[in-house]
Amino acid sequence: MENDEKKYEDVIKALKGLQEVKAPANFEADLQRRINSEKFPKEAKKSFWQNILLPSRLIPSLGLVAAAMVIFIVVDTNSEELDNPFLIEPRVREDIFVVTDFEEFEAEKEETSKQKSFKEDQPVKKNESVLGKRRDESGLKSSDDRVVTGGEKSNEVGVLMDEKDVPVDQDLDNGVYATEESTIVDSLAAPQPTTTMRASSELLTGQVISKEELNFRQVQLNEEQQKAVDELKIQTQSNDKTGKSRK
Amino acid sequence: MDKTLRELSDEELILEFQKNNTEDAFNILVQRYKNPLTNFVFRFLGDYESCNDVVQETMIKVYRYKDSYSSVAKFSTWIYTIAGNLARTEYRRQRRRNIFSINDYGEEHKTFDLPDESYRPDVATDSGIKDEIIQKALLKVKDTYREAVILRDIQGMSYEEISEILGVNEGTIKSRINRGRAQLQELLKGIYKE
Repeated sequence: MENDEKKYEDVIKALKGLQEVKAPANFEADLQRRINSEKFPKEAKKSFWQNILLPSRLIPSLGLVAAAMVIFIVVDTNSEELDNPFLIEPRVREDIFVVTDFEEFEAEKEETSKQKSFKEDQPVKKNESVLGKRRDESGLKSSDDRVVTGGEKSNEVGVLMDEKDVPVDQDLDNGVYATEESTIVDSLAAPQPTTTMRASSELLTGQVISKEELNFRQVQLNEEQQKAVDELKIQTQSNDKTGKSRK
Repeated sequence: MDKTLRELSDEELILEFQKNNTEDAFNILVQRYKNPLTNFVFRFLGDYESCNDVVQETMIKVYRYKDSYSSVAKFSTWIYTIAGNLARTEYRRQRRRNIFSINDYGEEHKTFDLPDESYRPDVATDSGIKDEIIQKALLKVKDTYREAVILRDIQGMSYEEISEILGVNEGTIKSRINRGRAQLQELLKGIYKE
């Protein structure tokens, strides 16, 4: 220890010979001022929430928020949302009825066809009697006019009725037709034109409709049907002859 | 009252300040320790302004944390410990501030660390050139050695007190003091020759 101090004697002497550095004259006053400033702070520190909730400090932030809201609303209303055309549901057409249950639809269709055929059978039968009388009266016998009676006629008419889907409410006894279409249907049922029918059609339409103008359905008869028709012709001719002979 | 307080030892004064909150007792302690602490801190930092701030901060800590002092230790040890800790903190802060790096954009991309020695108000406090040279040499000694050398050779403390202040055993203190002295001797060769 003593050897070390002897070894560094010069250094120790130099360090001990350094002038003492003294504190400044106003040290104690400065210290007292600092202590007092710590004791009694000039302004009590406001809490975090007090700083935030001050209205003067809220003004710029509120303005920014309001501006952002306005911009958001304006931009949002101007923006057009383009719908995907593939996702748009098509408009429902009122003139087309939708079939949800196909079986039910088929049943209804059959029922309506039956009702139509039932309705059609009655006027045809009436037609037969009326036509018989008219034939008797007019005596018109044309080779072109093929007489179709009974089920064949009703069937044919029924087919036509189905195709045109026209209700048949005409009353042949009265000799008045409701519509032009019904006139056509009845003329099919009674292919021999009569004066009353022509008169009635003229009254309704104001035009004379010739047989060629009528859009008849041309039925191509096979040989058997042709034979049957021929037999019927013969029968009617014989019936006419017997009727005349009776007279 | 004031006369009797001046007759009290440091430990008695701090106890008086602790128990009765006697401001005069604290003021007497300030008067007793302001110059020794200023000398110690200045020799360690080499900057009078920051030294003054550190000593004032030390006194404020004594004032604020008077109750943390226990009568087991000497008051001088306690107050020097506070001052030493604050001085070390300030020294590290100054070193970070004064040392700046220059990035060389040359081929070798070398980085130079240069100490900024432009701000030295200590010139005004040290009258003699010799003192200035010694102070500059002291600042070049490693801070752990410097601290021990200052406390031993300038402040005149015992090894026991120094070990208590620095919180290391006496052997380490002696070793540090010797190494510090050796560095200083090497740095002050020219002075001795003159």
